[in-house]
Amino acid sequence: MKDNKQKVQIEVSDGAAIPTKKDFGLFTAWHITLIAALSILLYLVIRYPDPYLDILEFVSDGIVVTFEITFVSIFFSLILGLLTGLGRLSKNKCINLIASIYVEVIRGIPLLVQLFYIYYALGSFFKVPPFVAAVTAMSICYGAYMGEVFRAGIESIDKGQTEAARSLGFNTKQTMFYVIIPQAMRTILPPVGNEFIALLKDTSLVSILAVGDLLRRGREFATESFAYFETYTMVALIYLLITLLLSKLVSITEEKMRPYDN
Amino acid sequence: MTTNNYIIDIQHVYKFFNNLVALKNISLQIKPTEKVVILGPSGSGKSTLLRTINRLEKIDRGKIFVNGQDITHPKCDINKIRMEVGMVFQNFNLFPHKTVLQNITMAPIKLKKIPENEANELAISLLKKVGIEDKAHVYPGQLSGGQQQRVAIARALAMQPKVMLFDEPTSALDPEMIGEVLDVMVNLAKEGMTMVVVTHEMGFAKEVADRIVFMDAGEILEQGTPDHFFNNPNHPRAKQFLSQIL
Ligand SMILES: Nc1ncnc2c1ncn2[C@@H]1O[C@H](COP(=O)(O)OP(=O)(O)OP(=O)(O)O)[C@@H](O)[C@H]1O
Ligand SMILES: [Mg+2]
Repeated sequence: MKDNKQKVQIEVSDGAAIPTKKDFGLFTAWHITLIAALSILLYLVIRYPDPYLDILEFVSDGIVVTFEITFVSIFFSLILGLLTGLGRLSKNKCINLIASIYVEVIRGIPLLVQLFYIYYALGSFFKVPPFVAAVTAMSICYGAYMGEVFRAGIESIDKGQTEAARSLGFNTKQTMFYVIIPQAMRTILPPVGNEFIALLKDTSLVSILAVGDLLRRGREFATESFAYFETYTMVALIYLLITLLLSKLVSITEEKMRPYDN
Repeated sequence: MTTNNYIIDIQHVYKFFNNLVALKNISLQIKPTEKVVILGPSGSGKSTLLRTINRLEKIDRGKIFVNGQDITHPKCDINKIRMEVGMVFQNFNLFPHKTVLQNITMAPIKLKKIPENEANELAISLLKKVGIEDKAHVYPGQLSGGQQQRVAIARALAMQPKVMLFDEPTSALDPEMIGEVLDVMVNLAKEGMTMVVVTHEMGFAKEVADRIVFMDAGEILEQGTPDHFFNNPNHPRAKQFLSQIL
């Protein structure tokens, strides 16, 4: 009754435009962009296999690496984000302060600088493989953003829910995990989906660390072949197609996440 | 100063919200099976008093014993106490992501480690008692307010509490649904449950209460049987309160 009402939306600026239900018509920007990007890509590959098919084959392992970095980083940033969000809500002053400082520091430093810092600056003390450095930096960076998303999601749940759970005898932790977080997932999912897509795009930054992601593989092809225009056209089209498909996936998942909304 | 014959023993309790004295030297003893109805104007501290009994509100001074245990003692395991003190809220506060059945079985399963099939049986029997066993598998959002509140009562009863606290359980309901919730509460009272009820339903208070407690500005100003309170109150503010609501 009274609380199915206002839906809380957490605003996150970067990421991609995730289509909402009303954008699901036949000729939305999403459809037009997808069809155009796909047509151009197929046309180029079929009409001019040299160099476009060669480029596609060359960078295909880079696509896999981009996905690997994305998924591993998302996984760790979600865990870190949950801990940070809970930390920011903790009554324990010390935990609260640590979580808040982490968020402040990370939000204040560009991701590219964080990548340099973890790989080169810290790398002068203990060397880690570029892939590990990349995933570490991405996870730490996005963990801070996810932390804010989790905090906002948890705060959006009515405090009557906490009181009901506590009055039954659940302790703070049980209340959080059985009652609050499952409900917060609904508000958390859209911005998490958004961060997910933003993270995928930001993985292109790790190409500076000698990680063979999509952009890096493209660069390698371009410098060998001098086919800069052709190569980066393909790279851009591939990123675009991936984010278009992912944003659709995210919005479908959101639609499915409403079992008790009747 | 522990007490054996009181299930709730509130001794000289004070509660402050910043400068506001929400509870001022409150003492109240409640015996097993007793039904106490708390009346008073808005802002008089009724909810605050009720919520101190299961420590949803921490008190600043005084002592509260529940079932002989000092819940103001730092070593008190409040979660244990709360399992024996059911609470029903004005806004129901059902868990919207769980079905009606799961709302009821969750605490017995997780906290009392009751096997799931036993918990389900218990839940069904409680739903029968509150008259909505056919709604076991729907989500709270699909129920009317009256039905939600009856589920909330069943959820609290599933822990087999020794006392039930009700904070204006019918105030958020459309008028035509108030009766169905009050009926459940009357039956509960007849079964011998100890009840502390904050309500504006004077009919219920007259019918069910063993004792009326009248509060104003954080103080208990008058206590007595419904007959005494409604017909011969002593305190001028109780008289004024009655003249306004009747
Ligand atoms: N969390 C809080 N912070 C500050 N003041 C509070 C808080 N909770 C209650 N109060 C104040 O304490 C006083 C008593 O409030 P309480 O909710 O107990 O009144 P009540 O008798 O239940 O009123 P009502 O009939 O409106 O529910 C009120 O003046 C209220 O504004
Ligand atoms: Mg109140």
